[in-house]
Amino acid sequence: MEKLQIFDKNSNSKNTNYINQPDTPLAELDKVIPKSCLRENLPLPNLGELEVIRHYTSLSSSNFSVDSNFYPLGSCTMKYNPKLNEYLASLAGFTDIHPYQNADCIQGALELIYNLSQALSVITGMKRFTFQPSSGAQGELAGLLMIRKFHRINNNQKTKVIIPDSAHGTNPATASMCGYQVLTVESTKDGLVNINRLKEIVDDKVAAIMLTNPNTLGLFEENILEIRDIVHKKGGLLYYDGANFNPLLGVTNPSLMGFDVIHLNLHKTFSTPHGCGGPGAGAVGAGDTLEDFLPFPLIDKRGDKFYLNYQVKNSIGRLKGFYGNFLVLVRAYAYILRLGEQGLLRVAQVSTLNANYIKEKLKNQYEVAYPKRCLHEVVFSCQKQKERGASSLDIAKRLIDFGIHPPTMYFPLIVAEALMIEPTETESKQALDYFIKAMRDIDKEIDQDLAKVKTAPHSVSVKRIDEVKAARFPNLKWEKSGD
Amino acid sequence: MPYIPHTLQDIEEMLKVVGLSSLEELYAQIPSSLRLKKPLDLARGGSEFDVKKRIEELAAKNITLDKYNSFLGAGCYDHYIPAALPYMLSQPQFLTAYTPYQAECSQGILQAIYEYQSYICLLTGMDVSNASMFDGASSLAEAVLMALRMTKRKKVLVAEYLHPEYKETLNTYLSGFDFTIQQVKVADKGILEKDVLERYLDDDVVCCCLQSPNFFGLVENVERVSNTVASYGAITIMVTNPMSLAILKEPAELGVDIVCGDGQPLGGSLSFGGPSLGFLAARKKYTRQIPGRIVGKTTDKETKPAYCLTLQTREQHIRREKATSNICSNHSLNAIGAAVYLSLMGQQGMKNVALSSFQNTQYLYQRLKEIRGIKIPYSKQIFNEFIWEVQDAAAVIAKLYEKNIIAGYFVGRIFPKHKNAILSCCTEKKTKADIDNFIETLAEVLHGETTNI
Repeated sequence: MEKLQIFDKNSNSKNTNYINQPDTPLAELDKVIPKSCLRENLPLPNLGELEVIRHYTSLSSSNFSVDSNFYPLGSCTMKYNPKLNEYLASLAGFTDIHPYQNADCIQGALELIYNLSQALSVITGMKRFTFQPSSGAQGELAGLLMIRKFHRINNNQKTKVIIPDSAHGTNPATASMCGYQVLTVESTKDGLVNINRLKEIVDDKVAAIMLTNPNTLGLFEENILEIRDIVHKKGGLLYYDGANFNPLLGVTNPSLMGFDVIHLNLHKTFSTPHGCGGPGAGAVGAGDTLEDFLPFPLIDKRGDKFYLNYQVKNSIGRLKGFYGNFLVLVRAYAYILRLGEQGLLRVAQVSTLNANYIKEKLKNQYEVAYPKRCLHEVVFSCQKQKERGASSLDIAKRLIDFGIHPPTMYFPLIVAEALMIEPTETESKQALDYFIKAMRDIDKEIDQDLAKVKTAPHSVSVKRIDEVKAARFPNLKWEKSGD
Repeated sequence: MPYIPHTLQDIEEMLKVVGLSSLEELYAQIPSSLRLKKPLDLARGGSEFDVKKRIEELAAKNITLDKYNSFLGAGCYDHYIPAALPYMLSQPQFLTAYTPYQAECSQGILQAIYEYQSYICLLTGMDVSNASMFDGASSLAEAVLMALRMTKRKKVLVAEYLHPEYKETLNTYLSGFDFTIQQVKVADKGILEKDVLERYLDDDVVCCCLQSPNFFGLVENVERVSNTVASYGAITIMVTNPMSLAILKEPAELGVDIVCGDGQPLGGSLSFGGPSLGFLAARKKYTRQIPGRIVGKTTDKETKPAYCLTLQTREQHIRREKATSNICSNHSLNAIGAAVYLSLMGQQGMKNVALSSFQNTQYLYQRLKEIRGIKIPYSKQIFNEFIWEVQDAAAVIAKLYEKNIIAGYFVGRIFPKHKNAILSCCTEKKTKADIDNFIETLAEVLHGETTNI
């Protein structure tokens, strides 16, 4: 049954009473503010608390989530979100501090950010971090603007950014937002950056290359030092998209790989919850070359006092109001303290083992797009299944009936009928075995009962959604007259 | 290891399946020159008991706002948050889900976000809202980028009394392009005036960005601004506090083209400034320029009503370098929080919060006026905050602070022409006694006495 919208449930209940009536003298609004500036009506529904709670509880219950379902969504690192971190992020000492309070009221907050920055420096080898960006994409924006300013200050005439054809869509979109022209470098048949091609296209106009390592095929760009040399030699810099850093914790780091500036998605590698698509946090780390270009303010220490430092020599400026998604930082810091040096390495190893286990167990049914050893994720091509009648979309939707969230589909773009699977380290062998069996069963079903696969899902409240209709006849908000 | 369920036996069995004998061998393809030679220089992982204690100690080092009689606002407001709200947002199937790309198993999220979009449209009077942005400052920057894409013009006007951090953020976002940003000075009344504005307007102006209520709390004459701006073929972008829209006219009715701001007043905690959410809404004709995700209502293949992410050809995962923005993750959970808050408060609750904030602020304004040596430069045409001036403002703030009062935001640090100004705010949480205590203490600090103010 269709779930009514909140606006259709208006019960004219008026007994909310969450706040006191003011005890200050009455001030009449229309005697102070001209009537032309005041609204005539506020068409919001009035509901009782129980009605509101039932409405949203009902909505929350019709979603897959990490807490309820295996969620092998490639490149998204849907690992378990520890509940300790939720508790800590809800402490009044963190939630009830105002960004403009005096420094002596917020020493604990500043210390936490400072400590997190130091821990990430140890983990990545980068010199200094900012936590202002709210997401990976905003981190990319910060990093590329830093690169841009670096070139401007040094009078380098740079117009282009190089991005592999396997890259996340945010990379080229960010380069455009910084006014750069995007050059695509192709991948080899092994799934790595084509070095010969790179040499051909790198020239003096190249500001930077943006790379993910391991790349979106889950493969380690083993020629990274050669790539660094090619780009640096022409005066370009290296940007590291840390979306896939999870399998490298304690194994290697972006500083060793030669990157000048990086971002880490704290909502991926460092376990903070995704919250239906955010808020996350994109921590940006800089090495020697770009340290002075980080957004202001940075957190510094004088004696045993922490303070907000606005004196950042060549800073690109500010990317958002205040200081970043602080409550996300609390969670990430708790995660690092819980795991410690050995735990983080084990995270990397087991995330890699889990992906390779799935790859090995499914390689006879599904074609592995690139046979090299993968790290945290594996990309299959469902080309053979497609020939038998079921696309990767069909397979993905059928997984819903097994209680499994679909993998990332049709990405990276260079793999036909791609399914990109990232199990993460927090899934047990039993969970993986269940997934493997489901994938094998679906493969068999294609021959036995194709219609069942093609019309999936069958177990949730709706059938496949008409997305074409949604785009052609946009209905983007509730209207009083009904539909 | 915490959060990793594998037994040693599991690991051995799995290694055998992949044809390896140790976890180390999983990394054989990484050249040894790139391998870390020693373990990370971090402490050993702590027990949950230890880590909890350690971070609780950090939290305890902060002094929370409720320990003070605080009048801080300036873009982050201390409203009451109903207990039901954090409860609802901690529901695991909201908290631990990803972006609802897979619509069939995300209908609840999609409907909640659709309702959020509808709420933003009801408050602003606009036709289209996106599914949320990061915060008010970056929403303004994205709104300006929208405007810039629609014309070949090069000049962006920004009102002087727009939040200074929003202006800084806008500068950063535009720094990759060849645009100029000009600041439009306010007139004597602290708001934009037509004749002043016209001095800046020409046919190279893309848009004019103003905030109302502005950074100093004054309600702008938005309609006059938007009419003037429109007569030059430019776009009006308005930043607003969504709580003020419970009583102030819908921006769409005032001729605004794009409205944006920070959603924190809608049930968001202070949280040292983040995460909150940004909202962005516009008239229908701008729909395809809107950045970020949008949820639409459609049907499933059996014509049953259903929701999905839509108009995705604007977005980075489809359009890559031609996308309207690079935004991917947004602040969905906070957007759902705003919808839950609006549902809990309802029409009546929202009006109560806004009117109480207004009334308390008017009272503070009146009482401050009575104190010798206090100058209030602008009118009381304000919503929930305003500036006042006093000799040695920084010192006065410090003295009040010793007496457990946070007078407000020190304006002098940012606005040289108001070097002795303080921006003070009242929400519905303030009582007459709180305000009287502030006034009496201030009089004492200034004149060494509580009577004869």
